[in-house]
Amino acid sequence: MWSTHQFWVGLFGALGVEGRKLVFSSDTSEEQSRQFAKGRGTVDCCYPVKCMSGHYGELVARDKHRKIDVLFSPMIASLPSFLKGHVVDNLACPRVMAGPENIKSGFLKENDAFKERSIRYVTPLVSLADAPLVPKQLHPHLKEIFPELGLEETKEAVRQGFEALEAFNTQARRRGRAVLEHCAAEDRPCLLVIARPYHMDPGIGHEIEVDLQAFGYPVLWAQYFPTDPDLLEWIFAADLKAGRIRSTFDVADVWPSSYSANTNEILWGAKVAARVPWVAGVIRLASYECGMDQPTYTPVQQIVERSGTLFFSFQELDSTKPAGSVKIRVETIAHYLQKYAAEIIAKKKAVAAPGCPFGTSPTENSAAAEAASAAAPA
Amino acid sequence: MKTVGMDVGSTTVKAVVVENGNILWRDYKRHNTKQAEMVLEFLGCIERECGLAPARDRMFFTGSGAGFLAPLVGAKLIQEVVAVAAAVEKLHPAVRFVSEIGGEDMKTVFFTPSGDGTSKQVYMQSACSGGTGTFIEKTARKLSIETEALAKMRYEGMSLHKVSSKCGIFAEADANTLVKSGVPVEEIIASLYEAVVYQNLATLTKGNTPVPQVLLLGGPNLFFAGLQQAWRHHLKKLWKERRVAAPDGMDPESLILVPEDAVYYACLGCVEIGEGENPDVAVYQGTEKLSWWIEKGQHEQKAKEGASGLISGDDEFQAFLARYGCPSNNGHSHPRMSGTPAAVSPPMESGVFLGCDFGSTTAKAVVLCPKRELLFSCYVQSKGNPIEDAKSILRQVREAGFEQIAGLALTGYGKDLLKDIIGADVGLVETVAHATAALHFYPDADVICDVGGCDVKIMLLRQGTVSDFRLNSQCSSGNGAFLQGVAERYGTPLEQYAEHAFKARSVPKLAMGCGVFLQSDIVNQQRKGWSSEEIMASLAAVLPLNVWVYAGQLQNLAAAGKKFVLQGGTHRNLAVVKAQVDFVQSKVPGAEIVVHPHPGEAGAIGAALCARESYREGQPSRFRGFDTIEALDYHSTTNEHTTCRWCPVNCRRTFIDVVLPGAKGRPWSKIPVAEGRERVISGNSCPKGLLEDANEMRVVKAEMEEVKRAYPNIAEMVREDAFRHPRVPVEAEDRDT
Repeated sequence: MWSTHQFWVGLFGALGVEGRKLVFSSDTSEEQSRQFAKGRGTVDCCYPVKCMSGHYGELVARDKHRKIDVLFSPMIASLPSFLKGHVVDNLACPRVMAGPENIKSGFLKENDAFKERSIRYVTPLVSLADAPLVPKQLHPHLKEIFPELGLEETKEAVRQGFEALEAFNTQARRRGRAVLEHCAAEDRPCLLVIARPYHMDPGIGHEIEVDLQAFGYPVLWAQYFPTDPDLLEWIFAADLKAGRIRSTFDVADVWPSSYSANTNEILWGAKVAARVPWVAGVIRLASYECGMDQPTYTPVQQIVERSGTLFFSFQELDSTKPAGSVKIRVETIAHYLQKYAAEIIAKKKAVAAPGCPFGTSPTENSAAAEAASAAAPA
Repeated sequence: MKTVGMDVGSTTVKAVVVENGNILWRDYKRHNTKQAEMVLEFLGCIERECGLAPARDRMFFTGSGAGFLAPLVGAKLIQEVVAVAAAVEKLHPAVRFVSEIGGEDMKTVFFTPSGDGTSKQVYMQSACSGGTGTFIEKTARKLSIETEALAKMRYEGMSLHKVSSKCGIFAEADANTLVKSGVPVEEIIASLYEAVVYQNLATLTKGNTPVPQVLLLGGPNLFFAGLQQAWRHHLKKLWKERRVAAPDGMDPESLILVPEDAVYYACLGCVEIGEGENPDVAVYQGTEKLSWWIEKGQHEQKAKEGASGLISGDDEFQAFLARYGCPSNNGHSHPRMSGTPAAVSPPMESGVFLGCDFGSTTAKAVVLCPKRELLFSCYVQSKGNPIEDAKSILRQVREAGFEQIAGLALTGYGKDLLKDIIGADVGLVETVAHATAALHFYPDADVICDVGGCDVKIMLLRQGTVSDFRLNSQCSSGNGAFLQGVAERYGTPLEQYAEHAFKARSVPKLAMGCGVFLQSDIVNQQRKGWSSEEIMASLAAVLPLNVWVYAGQLQNLAAAGKKFVLQGGTHRNLAVVKAQVDFVQSKVPGAEIVVHPHPGEAGAIGAALCARESYREGQPSRFRGFDTIEALDYHSTTNEHTTCRWCPVNCRRTFIDVVLPGAKGRPWSKIPVAEGRERVISGNSCPKGLLEDANEMRVVKAEMEEVKRAYPNIAEMVREDAFRHPRVPVEAEDRDT
């Protein structure tokens, strides 16, 4: 949901479900699962999937004035990633995709909790990376909600959904670019978070990056890193020139089996972090025992660290924010950022390609540019 | 003919002897890991007191330790849940849900009427300490609560705080944090009961609703009144939510039963099942084989299974002791300790630098002269109250003759709380303090490994600066508290740990990994007859794996460097040092491993060094002075008025009001503070929580918003805008990209 949000807002908006008629469950929290998931839990080692019990429970338990009619929980098989076309595939994590099937069983075990509250449970399988397929996948399910709905209308709603998502993503990236420009102009450091989209959920990522923001560091997220060609061509100039990559979105040099959309974005984020001078530190978030993330730990860390960028990883996150240890770590990170950021920026600028679109000219002569291409992390 | 039902559990042995439906004898004793010995003692007793006779009477065993012992005396093994269920069905036919909490496991049984009988659904959890008796006792021990007092502590009416329900070791850490914020122990214990019940309901009901009647079994459910209250509270609430009606309008309270002989249910179930068995099954064969096992058998089996001890030979051990055994040497090839605590110089005119480390288990202080030489060090065991700890440690500094303080730096968990109260010049995060301390003594160090009470820190250094660090305080594996916990369980003072561990000639192989799993592995090894010395040795042996590989996630140690500095109090334990040295040298040939000259005080030394670094001539220290600290008077409050309401997290804060000359007080507060008192707020998890008042909040919120505006976070935009209809129509040009 955390990367397709506006698609659904746009889609249902086009179908006339607007304003207060479309509700999302609130952010994940321990209280949410304590209150609404008690005894509804199902076996799943993935913490973000487990959380869904609380989200379902919360929506199901709304009082009669705010009761929902439909619980819509799509099984998203593939994601509309910005790396599409440059990678092998854009699949969603299969565990997350199948989450709804798993979670609903906790609501059907003793009696049908949906039926008891006359809630229609709708869970279409949808391949959002494959836009032409989406209307056909959604139509039969949406028809359960809107019996009159035709396929053409569905197509139009899907189109509006993608448009809304794109508009949102563009705006977020624009804001990211503004942050970077500001950092470049003042030679100030920023942080890049490399994580899965659901780590933006305060109950899953525990807002660790917010604690660092409070120390005066702007925070970018790999998913919403600006993708403007002028910027990316500057960032990846040496790699393009050396033929290591086919495009600025190519991750094959570090991650040839690029099947998973979020994993691809994570690796791409690492490459960007290693090359952008003002990204002085990387915050890596991963949830407990995440099988998708585990193979990425070492490559991501090495890509980032070899560039001299500070790398801080918070792995094995689960329901409790280990407030004490997070605090120590955040303070330590802040200490080292304060101590080393200027040095890191200078060092990375020294090896960056000429022609920075932000107008700073870190490397004036061609010798430095050559040094840059030699030193760029592979 | 008598029938014996015996329950050999992880912490206790229980037995009942029944003849013609009458209970002749019963007993319940802790076995202190000597299960076989205790069973033998029980059998001797039963033979003497009830005339138990081999070849006539029958015997049925259950419990986690029974599988191995039952065949030795001819007993038949009955699975524990089956045994409990049998007793429940017989004694309480109306019961539909049973929770049995044991020392190291927990079980739930759902009874559903079907046809003539009932179908039973059983859930059991024994891989993790969360929600078990150990979980409660471990924390109670940490809080120094006597068993009798613990049994009486209440749940009802107590303010509850957040305590991790998942892992006993985390819970202990949480409890520790609460103590440090001044939360009364009664409230911590109530919170612990809350966590136990929550954990049982969350993990062991698997989508089923516990319906009346409910039976609570096992030692903890029986002995801890507060735990019973927590169950009653949660079950009644759950029944209300799920609309579970009490039969015939009975009071829900009366539907939750805690039988007085709750601990004997597994034994009674054994007898119940046994009586239905063929009479030639499970005939008692006397204690001969069991005695043989205790005296000989267990040692033979152990010898087959074990690995060699920490020491491979006398020469090697002597060489190790020569290098590491003497505190002034510490493995350094050319000892160059600057000052030992004994060498106290006369007080300095110009003042000294004081570094204090308020850690999770102890508070330490060191005094450095302006030339950065160590003049004095002292420590106190944390009493759980940071202000008392501070008073006590500063008293020691003053008594040693240091009156003139030129600079004061704090580090450790207590630094934020105490910084303004004591008037420290620098508040330093632990990790940085430790790195500073190591680099001071060993500028050529490549790796610092600090194993403290509650965390493991690994700092990788390149060219004398910290280039990377790993901190693990989320996972208890490999930390000192775990080692201490095990030592305590064996009644061994930590100072004698190494002495005991070095005695082991062979050790059981423990698996690397989660401390909780290690704990159950230890139980397993005990069952095989490994002694406390051998287990302590094996625990020391597995510690480096946990520290470097599991917690530190350093697969390739050689890439980290050649010179390793070991610090943190846990490295005072020579058994650990021996294991660390062997491990590191096996991974990094030619590695030089040194133990910091003051492993336990490294944090305090680092702080003092930083105090020295930030010292400017003519600029007085903020230190309030010994007299002021000594006279500190305070009281702390934690209740619904101290709960933070600024965000849905609702942190349960503690207000500590300290008498400080010149403090303005807080007359406008809900819990007003008189003039001359300074309020310290602890227990908050973000800077917002440091404020109690709306006016104060407005100012600070504006400041925080200002910071956030100046330093945006893209995720905040997503959190705010992604799940709603766009507020402003997106402009056409925005869509083109």
